[in-house]
Amino acid sequence: MNSNQTPQATSSTAADGFDRPLLLTPGQDLSGWAFRNVGRALLFLVASTCILSVLFIFLFILREAIPFLTKSGYLAELFTSREWYPARTKPLFGGWAILVGSVYVTLGALVVAVPIGLLAAVFLSDIVPFRLRQVIKPIIELLAAIPSVAYGFFAVLVFAPWMQNTLGMDTGTNALNASVILAVMAIPTIVSISEDALTAIGREIREGAYALGSTRAETTLKVILPAARSGILAAIILGMMRAIGETMVVWMASGNAVQVPTPWWDITTSVRTMTATIAGEMGETVHGSDHYHALFAIGLALLSITFVLNIISESLLARAKRKRG
Amino acid sequence: MRTLIRRILDRLFTSVAGLSVLLMSAALVLVLGPILWRGATAVVFQGTVEFRRMQLYEFGRGDAEAVKAEVAQATQARAPVYQMLDEFSEGILVEKLSDRAKDINRSFDDQVAHRVDAGTISSEEGRRLGRAARKLRRTLLDAYDTDDKDEALELLDEVLSSPARKDLKNTVAESLFKQAGKYKRIVESVDLTQRDTYAESLREVSDILRELFGPRREDRAADLAEVRYGVTRADQAARVLDRLLWTEKWVPVEPGKPLVKKRTPRAERFQGTPIAGLFSTVERDLDKMLRPETTVYWRFFTDNSTTGHFFGGVGPEVVGTLMLTALAMAIAVPIGVVTAAYLVECTKDTLVVRILRTCINTLAGVPSIVFGLFGLAFFVLWALPGLDLAHGSSVLAGGLTLALLVLPIIIRSSEEAIRAVPQSYKEASLALGAGGLRTFLTVTLPAALPGVLTGVILSMSRAAGETAPILFTAAVAVGPWPGSLLKPCRTLSYASYDMAVGDRVAQRVPHNQFGMILALVLLVLILNVAAILIRSRISRKLRGG
Repeated sequence: MNSNQTPQATSSTAADGFDRPLLLTPGQDLSGWAFRNVGRALLFLVASTCILSVLFIFLFILREAIPFLTKSGYLAELFTSREWYPARTKPLFGGWAILVGSVYVTLGALVVAVPIGLLAAVFLSDIVPFRLRQVIKPIIELLAAIPSVAYGFFAVLVFAPWMQNTLGMDTGTNALNASVILAVMAIPTIVSISEDALTAIGREIREGAYALGSTRAETTLKVILPAARSGILAAIILGMMRAIGETMVVWMASGNAVQVPTPWWDITTSVRTMTATIAGEMGETVHGSDHYHALFAIGLALLSITFVLNIISESLLARAKRKRG
Repeated sequence: MRTLIRRILDRLFTSVAGLSVLLMSAALVLVLGPILWRGATAVVFQGTVEFRRMQLYEFGRGDAEAVKAEVAQATQARAPVYQMLDEFSEGILVEKLSDRAKDINRSFDDQVAHRVDAGTISSEEGRRLGRAARKLRRTLLDAYDTDDKDEALELLDEVLSSPARKDLKNTVAESLFKQAGKYKRIVESVDLTQRDTYAESLREVSDILRELFGPRREDRAADLAEVRYGVTRADQAARVLDRLLWTEKWVPVEPGKPLVKKRTPRAERFQGTPIAGLFSTVERDLDKMLRPETTVYWRFFTDNSTTGHFFGGVGPEVVGTLMLTALAMAIAVPIGVVTAAYLVECTKDTLVVRILRTCINTLAGVPSIVFGLFGLAFFVLWALPGLDLAHGSSVLAGGLTLALLVLPIIIRSSEEAIRAVPQSYKEASLALGAGGLRTFLTVTLPAALPGVLTGVILSMSRAAGETAPILFTAAVAVGPWPGSLLKPCRTLSYASYDMAVGDRVAQRVPHNQFGMILALVLLVLILNVAAILIRSRISRKLRGG
């Protein structure tokens, strides 16, 4: 097997280096085959860590949520009532306001992030030269890299006092604050994925549009964006996932008051989200209490929402890829 | 005309798109700017003599002799302030004066009794002296008690012109006259009816002075380090000085309008009293009293902190974060790279691969707080106690949770990097007779290494910055220097949260708040810049040939 074996059997006609028969013996063949497949099985075993961990995540969140879900009345209460008083002797688990809070700040973030993110993606893919793009890309990467706790820190110690003192709001920690910061966090996701979708649209489509006399704006808005819509939709959904699953920023910046904004457009109300509720209350509950299981039920809801969104975005991206060829 | 409108709209579109990129850059600057700028003040600042004293006593750093000499100079500069304060409080804090008068009387009684015993004076003489002294004391106490200036002066005159003065010469009781004389001078300058308000304001002033200069005598018994020293930084000193010089009051301007903050100089309140000059003295000589010097406190990043985060640095948090990150990497990198290799090298698009990919995407989409819940339910409450390893949160549980969190990032970037290795490399290796494994280990992986490394670095920065997954699995706000894998630890991310929102002590030291987040952001920025540089090198290499 080794090349440094002494070439005792070398025939005089063979060139140097061909010191072993090119044909393997059946034994070598078999062991090679076994070795290869065992190796593959081992590799698969390691690779299946991912599958296992996803299974375990669902299993264990479900396991801890089930005692809450199966108790009569709790599930209905979670999605209809606004009375969230988990610490009372007769606790109330009305999560409606919390659910609304999550959706509220997420939508608020998207309202800011989607236009900016899409325009920036168009700017990167269609407008700027390559050299400038190399400068802008790191900016987006850094925006994505800043830890969420740093954003939260900024929100609570810089942004909130500014809103309170300069804009004269009652409190700086409110839905607006959380939405703006979440938007900044969701923008990098939206930009990079929709930029990929836009660049994937071939040159010939752009050139066809230009040849028909359309301006760049018209080409982009009427031809390229529609052509890339599945990819863009996937980008928006992924940005939305980032916003809805974000914990630290909303926990620090949203004010954490269990209430539904009334009137609904009053974005300066303090709200509470699902993630913030879990983060804020898990530390204070007794493990195994109703409250503990209720928080896992919220976690399960969160996991289900992101799972569904993930499946949707994945199928959208797959469709975009299929379309391209 | 139509063309013109279309051209204008086109230009508009371009500039709005450009604007959105500008907005993004502005967001980056706006977020990072205050963190970097104000965080830098935790490291570079004007440190006062109190800072050097604190470093000497709490961390055993600096030249003890030099610091002591400096403290002596500062104490000398502060002396006039305290002198003024003492003189004034003589007249204001009556209880102290009364106590002293009683003390004098008592020791005088002892002295008389002693002399009677020794036979220097007769017992009748002794009784007479005692009576006289008691009478003096009573008059003096009345003078202390009264709010009426004239009455007080009258009583004091009565004491001072007492016929017993001659008899009491060269006894302890003589100091009663001294006291009366001193008090008389004060009564002449102070409005006695305002004595209560003075007393209150005086307490405020001495509290602020204590905050500014620390306890007057070396009060080593003080439990908390934060009350053992005065202000350690010039910017803090300026804030405290402002509180000393000005009083703030919320006053209504007109009914129905919100209250307005009104600032008045504190000196006004003490017009005509012995401490009227104190405020201008402190303001003028503050530099001599505190001796600020530009200090570069590099050890902020490695020092332990004392009493909350009042003094010291972020050492334990840095170590805890590094431990967690290293553990997460040690677990996630091998698994991630092997999974990526499996995805690229071993299989075509089978059902298994599709399931695997869906799982990776799902894992990437799981919200970080759900990772935290899972870590709590699985590692903290089920697996680790089941293995009898750790009970309660631990670095191990946190590291495992973070490993799951970064696994998809590592897999994706490694897969991309491995896929980018030209097919010809592999074919060449296979043609030379190397097996699949050897080809991967000696040809493909080295060629893909920079790309893999980029992914690893980026996931490190993600793991270091995450807070939600370690909330219930690894992080504590206060605790010992991290050392064990089976104990919870302090981390930069959780401490930043805690200092920004929870910690009341931290609100008083904003430089340390910002210093904490600076340490985290710096760590993340360094890792990211490294990743960006490696990536740009790869792309240059690819483009270059």
